[in-house]
Amino acid sequence: MKKQNMSIFGTGGRSVAVALLAVLAVAACDAIDPTQVNNPTTTDDDLAEATNPTEALLPGLRAQFARMINAYVVAAEVISDNYSIHGTGIIVDMDEPHEVTSDLVNSTGTSASGVYWNVQELRALADFVINDIAPNDPGAPPALVAEAHYYRGMAFLTMGEVFSNVPHEEDGMPQPSETALTRAISDLQAGTGFGPQANAALARAHRLLGDAGSAASAANAVLGASADFLFAPSYDEQFLGNTPVAFLVLRALQEMQPLPRLDFLDPKYTERDSPIPIAKAEEMHLILAEAALASGNVGEARSHLASAVTVAKSRGMVSFDDIDERRNADLSLRPRSEEILIRSDADSPYRAGLVLNRPSDGLEIPYISGTSLSADSIAGLGGENEVWHALWLARQEILLLEGRRLADLGIKLPMMLREIDQNDNIAEGDPGTLPIVPGYIPQNPRYAMDIYTPLDLYDGVDPGAPLVKSEVTMHVDMNKVLVANNASPFN
Amino acid sequence: MVKRIAALAALHALTVGAGPAEAQTGVVQGQVLDGASGRPLANAQVLVAGSGIGQITNSSGRYVLLNVPAGEHVVQVTLIGYEGVERTVSAAAGQTLTVDIELLSTAIALNEIVVTGVGAETTRRALGTSVEVLSADDFELAPVQSIDQVLQGRVAGATISATSAQPGTGSLINFRGVSSVFSPQTPVIYVDGVRVDNDHATAFGTGGEQSSALADLLVSDIERIEVTKGGAASTLYGSDAATGVIQIFTRKGTPGAPRFTARVEQGIEQPELWNILDTRLIFPERVESGEVAETFMRDNYFQQGSVQSYYAGVSGGTADVTYSVSGRLEDRAGTQPKDGSTNYNLRGGMQASLSDNFTLEFSGSFVRHNFQRLYNGAAINDPLTTFEVGDALFFSGASDLHEALRIFLMPDIDEAVNRAIFAGGLSWNIREGLSTRLKVGVDHRTNTQRVIQPIGFTVDDPTGEITRRDRSFVSVSMDGGVTHAWENADGWLGSTLTVGVQGFREDMSLINGYGRTFALPGTNDFDAAALISAYEGNVEMFNGGAYLDEQLSLWDKVYLGGGFRMDAGSSFGDNVDFELYPKATASYMLSDDVGIPLVDDVKVRAAYGQTGKFPGAFSKDRTFSALPFRGESAPRFANPGNLELRPEKTSTIEAGIDAALWSDRIGLNATFYEARTTDALFRVPRQPVTGLGTQQENVGEILNRGVELALNAQLVNHRVLAWSLGGTFAYNDNRIADMGGVPDFSVGGSQKRVTGCWMMSEAGNEDTCRGGPIGAWWVTMPSDTNGDGLFDASVRQFTGGFPTPDKSGGVNTTISVANDLIIFALADWAGGHEVFDWGSVWATFNGVYRRELIRCGTEDGAAAGCAYAFPVQYNTDGTERGRYSQSNARNAFVYDGDYFKLREVSVRYALPEGIAGRINADRATVYASGRNLWIWSRNALVDGELNGLTFGSGLALGSESSITLSPNRTFRLGVEVVF
Repeated sequence: MKKQNMSIFGTGGRSVAVALLAVLAVAACDAIDPTQVNNPTTTDDDLAEATNPTEALLPGLRAQFARMINAYVVAAEVISDNYSIHGTGIIVDMDEPHEVTSDLVNSTGTSASGVYWNVQELRALADFVINDIAPNDPGAPPALVAEAHYYRGMAFLTMGEVFSNVPHEEDGMPQPSETALTRAISDLQAGTGFGPQANAALARAHRLLGDAGSAASAANAVLGASADFLFAPSYDEQFLGNTPVAFLVLRALQEMQPLPRLDFLDPKYTERDSPIPIAKAEEMHLILAEAALASGNVGEARSHLASAVTVAKSRGMVSFDDIDERRNADLSLRPRSEEILIRSDADSPYRAGLVLNRPSDGLEIPYISGTSLSADSIAGLGGENEVWHALWLARQEILLLEGRRLADLGIKLPMMLREIDQNDNIAEGDPGTLPIVPGYIPQNPRYAMDIYTPLDLYDGVDPGAPLVKSEVTMHVDMNKVLVANNASPFN
Repeated sequence: MVKRIAALAALHALTVGAGPAEAQTGVVQGQVLDGASGRPLANAQVLVAGSGIGQITNSSGRYVLLNVPAGEHVVQVTLIGYEGVERTVSAAAGQTLTVDIELLSTAIALNEIVVTGVGAETTRRALGTSVEVLSADDFELAPVQSIDQVLQGRVAGATISATSAQPGTGSLINFRGVSSVFSPQTPVIYVDGVRVDNDHATAFGTGGEQSSALADLLVSDIERIEVTKGGAASTLYGSDAATGVIQIFTRKGTPGAPRFTARVEQGIEQPELWNILDTRLIFPERVESGEVAETFMRDNYFQQGSVQSYYAGVSGGTADVTYSVSGRLEDRAGTQPKDGSTNYNLRGGMQASLSDNFTLEFSGSFVRHNFQRLYNGAAINDPLTTFEVGDALFFSGASDLHEALRIFLMPDIDEAVNRAIFAGGLSWNIREGLSTRLKVGVDHRTNTQRVIQPIGFTVDDPTGEITRRDRSFVSVSMDGGVTHAWENADGWLGSTLTVGVQGFREDMSLINGYGRTFALPGTNDFDAAALISAYEGNVEMFNGGAYLDEQLSLWDKVYLGGGFRMDAGSSFGDNVDFELYPKATASYMLSDDVGIPLVDDVKVRAAYGQTGKFPGAFSKDRTFSALPFRGESAPRFANPGNLELRPEKTSTIEAGIDAALWSDRIGLNATFYEARTTDALFRVPRQPVTGLGTQQENVGEILNRGVELALNAQLVNHRVLAWSLGGTFAYNDNRIADMGGVPDFSVGGSQKRVTGCWMMSEAGNEDTCRGGPIGAWWVTMPSDTNGDGLFDASVRQFTGGFPTPDKSGGVNTTISVANDLIIFALADWAGGHEVFDWGSVWATFNGVYRRELIRCGTEDGAAAGCAYAFPVQYNTDGTERGRYSQSNARNAFVYDGDYFKLREVSVRYALPEGIAGRINADRATVYASGRNLWIWSRNALVDGELNGLTFGSGLALGSESSITLSPNRTFRLGVEVVF
């Protein structure tokens, strides 16, 4: 058998067959072009096709605002004296304000630490909507544009509250916090159509700028709109949850552990979609009280303080089954028994009722506001300094886990290292590149604001270890320190 | 014997036709022998040219060719490691002709044909680059389960680090150092010309361990594997081959009567517990109280695994059509609970001459791989880690260890892979010296992973979770070219010119379904949950180009090559049209002109070539992403976009020598190279004020320099005893040559750094620093701020180490006794790298300092002055503060990663022909093998081979482990019978 006889092509037909195949191949290539690909995410070209781009982008601003608040709250609460870190989810060095660096605190490694990133992204996304999209979108509803201004105003407010100097545009020079707050006021005024929360933010901005009159005016506008005003948008259980609740409740280590004297207010947020209060009537009363105190009107201050406490106590409680064993990183037990008495420092009296039994089912926890102050205790306050002390304590307790404590302590964070590295107009050592920690914040020993004695409250570390010592002394009462150093922006 | 020949003749008659022709035929038989020693050579292929009559020699080197038509024929004999021989014989009708043939061994296989990286088939003699070739004999009966295991220890310069002992995982493979900071370093893999999935992360990581597409690539019926490690040898693959190319050729059969092969293997697997501390050290109080034994994990968790493997195949063919078809089943019960696997595969290959000038090839395979896994690595659901670091009770919420273990074993992680690879090729000799070829093929791999955390599993959320991940990957490859070969009349000048096109398209689609909070137990469907969510991801990519390759031959001893590839790809920025990759090679058979004592052959070679690595599929586009938020779709900025995006380019200059010495008893290969990756893709951060993240940009430069050595020696070559010894050594220096203005950044976790300033010759003087190796360890370590000699603070610094070994090697030996008994051993080692011990980090939370405990033999090593004591921190006034927190002294968890492993030992015995003949078998072999038999590690806690924790599909550097089991020690006993 000769091979030629096995050929599937006759000698003459071969070239015809090959030519035919070649033609078919070319035609097939055209039909199944392998080079065409489709990017499954929205590109610039796709965005240009959107029919209502402002309306389409507003949910993005809402989500980014939620991210910013998440990051702001975790960073502020941990770096301040409100919370300690015990675990692996948050970089432990964030607990000590003197050790915060531009590399550490604003890395985007975790949502908790990305406060600078999230503030700037909110500002930039709002810029995009306000400057690039809305002007070219004839159908952009004014209410949505006002809402966009509110979010940009909140970005500038947070920027001014948390950071000392940051750039506001690409390659920009760092701008002092006063400039950020001024820009916040401008945006918030354009955002009043969004609701009283814009005025509440204006009150905060004016307060931080030391303008007691404007702050009081804005605060009164909020209270005028609603005596128990509350703006607390919820989170999304599935897709963008409340970040603090992860560290307070969900993670096995419950990394954020409260200052023992704030135990009765913890965890405040118990669900993945728990809202974080952004603006509330209590804070307006506290700003009014502070303005009054700064002007020497102790009686009016006391009255506003009492109003704040009244509103706070009128807010609801949430019943919570807490599995938190209250452990330090070395698994030793923290205060977790209601018998424990705590004093704010060695010179203060012991107080009861600040610690709850844990773990425990059915704990009643305030989820908007709570405080250890009462109408009676406010009525019993002595001189001006005692009212100042009560004011700082009220701000600490009522605004717990809302991020205000960092600014109350006077601490400013450095901008993110990436900004320093990438902006030729900023060098290490420039304003805004280092943390600002007031001299009155104790530095020794490490974590001085968070520590207490004694550490061996329980006999061992087992879950059922019995309490053997019931009196706890905090190393320092930072509210006393704030009073002594006239820390109010109105002073 | 007569009976056997009769049986063979009958079989042959069935396949090639017999009948009246028999009267016109004769028999050619004989023995193939080693020319130097007279030792019979098994597995030599003996073929009557052009007739389709052929046979493989048996263990006595014998062959019998039946039905050889009367007349003159050329008998061809080939065997790997020997020069091929052709002998003219005259068969006489009805007679038996005995022809014994002697082969001469060759130490460097200069006439071996190589196809990878060259336009047309080229002999190794003419190659200016280094190409490694592994033949089936090297690994066919080896106890390996995947292609990465095949390469381990057998390829000089290959760093191959396994993930763990768990099924479905694969190794990280790296040739010639890390050449990118973003892309995985796994070489591109082709099977019969089809570019196949090589992703090391095809499913959800289960705590750092990921499912690799390497785990289900075929390892049976591989004819040979060609390996190029980048540079000029890979240039023709364009923007896809900076990390090298592994090309696998499967069997298509050889002419001759059907050859049936059956193989049965049974074996056991044992957990490798060299670094497992167990309860004695971690829960001493539970042991002392008598609650559990000090070997709790050994008694209750680890188990002896088993493996059984069955293979059946047939191959053969005529002069015009050859075939090879086989099936294989392997079933494993792992050494931990819930980590068994089953692997089924079917494959076939055929080659047909459609006419004098047309040849068609086809191969296809189907693999189904089912396996179970446990969480391992970083996950707090990981039973091994939680028990080893002391977290088992805390994270389970249980009050005793038995209950804790029951809880940790509740989840199920199951995965099923289905994979089909088809390849077809056509070649046409248009006329003398002009030929064309076309290859097309497809790899379709789908995997479904289901992770079930049943109700009651976790303490913090005991409502149950089910996650399902489906991934579908399709790659279509095409390669076509025309080759013109020409030789001048005098024969001193030859030219082979090839022009062609080559490209692939890849489509990958992911769908993840997730359900949380279930009312009732028992459902495996996530949609029964209270909360359901789903995600998807899609990647489409095309990359292709045209190439030209010219090989000039001068006097058959000087070879010059040159060529280029023009490449285009869908991932290139809109302003980038084509990329050009040139190459030039030269080799010279020095020994043809210069006589050197004891040297038989010497070839010197040099090459320059560029290869590339394309950017991320859609990294060029400016995009917006969106996630659901409170029932709305919430967009935000995503990728910033880069119109100028292009592949990173690696230019390699290499020089080497291949030499055969001492009558071809010693073979030596040495290659020196410098590979410089320019336009390296870094994720360049945008200023955060822009609200934009990072963007891939071609700004960096990476340098790899090194040497690869391979030595093979036939120490004894006697008629009844042969002993050979081989070894490889490789060294690579990896560093960043230019950061392109980008600040230092982390890769593969926060502790591995890419830096332009690694080692400073003068303290603090940044002008004297040089770029660091990619992923240089950058960890916190104690520091002394006031100069009192006591550590009082912590600072992040480079340890001076890096995670990827810079030295590696292997050593192997083969002893053949009377040709029937073959003993093989292989060991490999790597070193120069550092590994990070996350397990010991976790253990500090429980007050356990593992290294101090085992090295110092006391819980207070500092007081004992032990060098391994965990560092103690002091206040600035000199008073002691106690041990550093784990986060501030991470350098105490970085260890020397050097290791040496006795990887394989096998003993193969060919049963005497008389015994095989009793079952009508042509050949019967029994063999025993072991894998991962012995480990030496410089540190006592972390296996320096393991890549440990990897996340995602990008660059994985490995060497960070939690408590991870080393690959199992495996023993197998097998029987192979060939009919």
